[in-house]
Amino acid sequence: MSAQSLRDKYCIVGVGETEYSKNSGRTTRAMAVEAIHRALGDAGLRATDVDGMLSYQNNDSTPANWVAPDLGIRLNFFMDVVGGGSSTEALIGLAMGAIEAGMCRTVAIFRSMNGYTDLRIGGTGPRATAPVRGQDLAQVPFGMRSAGQNFALTFMRHMYEYGTTSEQVAHVKVAHSKHASQNPKALLKDRVTVQDVVGSRWIVKPLHLLDCCLETDNATCLIVAPAERARDLRQRPVYIMGVAGRVSKPRTDFHWAHGPITRVAGYYAREIVFGQAGITPDDVDVTGSYDAFTFTTMLQLEEYGFCKKGEGGHYVSSGIIELGGRRPNNTSGGHLCEGYTHGMSMVIENVRQLRGTVDDYCPRAAEGHHSYDYAPGRCRQVKDAEITMNLGWAMPPTGSALIMRR
Amino acid sequence: MPEPVQYRGMTLVVPDNDSEWREYLALARQHRLMLRRCRACKLMRYPPTHACPWCAELEWDWQEVSGRGTIYSYEIVAHAIQPGFRDVTPYPVVLVELDEQRGRPTPDEALRIVANLVKPDGTMEDARNVAIGRRVRAVFQDLADYLALVQFTLTDEPPEGRAWRLPE
Repeated sequence: MSAQSLRDKYCIVGVGETEYSKNSGRTTRAMAVEAIHRALGDAGLRATDVDGMLSYQNNDSTPANWVAPDLGIRLNFFMDVVGGGSSTEALIGLAMGAIEAGMCRTVAIFRSMNGYTDLRIGGTGPRATAPVRGQDLAQVPFGMRSAGQNFALTFMRHMYEYGTTSEQVAHVKVAHSKHASQNPKALLKDRVTVQDVVGSRWIVKPLHLLDCCLETDNATCLIVAPAERARDLRQRPVYIMGVAGRVSKPRTDFHWAHGPITRVAGYYAREIVFGQAGITPDDVDVTGSYDAFTFTTMLQLEEYGFCKKGEGGHYVSSGIIELGGRRPNNTSGGHLCEGYTHGMSMVIENVRQLRGTVDDYCPRAAEGHHSYDYAPGRCRQVKDAEITMNLGWAMPPTGSALIMRR
Repeated sequence: MPEPVQYRGMTLVVPDNDSEWREYLALARQHRLMLRRCRACKLMRYPPTHACPWCAELEWDWQEVSGRGTIYSYEIVAHAIQPGFRDVTPYPVVLVELDEQRGRPTPDEALRIVANLVKPDGTMEDARNVAIGRRVRAVFQDLADYLALVQFTLTDEPPEGRAWRLPE
């Protein structure tokens, strides 16, 4: 077996998204079409150059074979998977596999959802009153239904085992809010303080309101193509060095049975993705650690070895994860501040970081000219970013990972 | 198929062909906490699934356990998602580690169950009384003549190790 055989053989050649909003006023089909159209334009591809399409959803979106014809695309391969966070990286791997198998040549991956105005990602509305059956009987009758409620036991145990504090973890929101203040697309551009976070109302202890991400209407798209094709396209190629996902813990149906419950799926994905890429955490310049909650970012950074297990609270509050720090995380502001995309936007952001063309407030950002002045309303480009890593999260026992280079 | 059960605005659906939960919940209605025990390796498991997660054996028997355990983790829901829980916020959800089979077959594994921490009369326990390490016992909340929920209530036993709760 050659674990590194696909390293650098595939690229992300195009990225695109709609506006992030709380009132899209249109269908997931319309938004998907726009996001794909933008990614095609970004790549310099015609619609008919795409012959593969993948999406993920939770019965809250439009399937690929309805979206593709709107753009005149006939597909040689398509698939819509049920899944949420951590599907992004996994589908990039599946796209590479589909091309490698000869089923298609260029794959567009999209996620489209009215996560605020339709099926609320936070779990209120129709989801909260749906009939409870099967595996849901293990948790839902006890008032444990939303993502925050499902994860809080893990977060609380981490505080008990390692002495992690609310103030330490609040620094994730603080850092991401700084990054969002440099992002014209971000829903929340105001910088917040640790006191703002720990002073916000409780949602489910140990989560405050500002520990939680934003429900958002949006669509996002990534286009995957072989490296030799990428070199002829519009953008500087961004190479895929390694990909893992969706990796699970044992007993993922009821992961509380298999401790330590503070261990998350990244523990198992780590060797796969770093093995393929042939690098170590020290080589990574920028991370995109899924921030459905402040805690999820911290847990994954620990598990992938950016710090020792249990030292995540110190890591995220040390300044390392902020722009100007050693290894900024979620430079777009992420799900906590830019908007919630089920993980796609964090890969999109890292692609732009590696190109050197992050869409901040620098007047000539698109041409790669940046001030590297991280004061509010200025620049969010990381100077000379060479390697990025995405840490995708669905639940404590399910995750994916992606390493890219310029 | 038995009638669905209404509980806190939720419809609990346990049809005759629910070969995982129907018997478990019916045994709970008899006020017995019963888990599936592998006929080959003799390890118990929860939830009541159809194969042994350690040896893949398909045969199993019901085994009664004491219902005694320790709070392994908890959360306090201040903002209820489900409308039927709004009148009991803030309410505690606990992860209870049962006394039986702790640290087997590997040191970090145990039989753990999600439930609410309730007072002996079944109402929600005051959130200020919840702490990791506190000792609990199972109590049964009858919802129909064929179904009860397994809940947990505090005992007078001293906590295991240090009792810990999130600082206010």
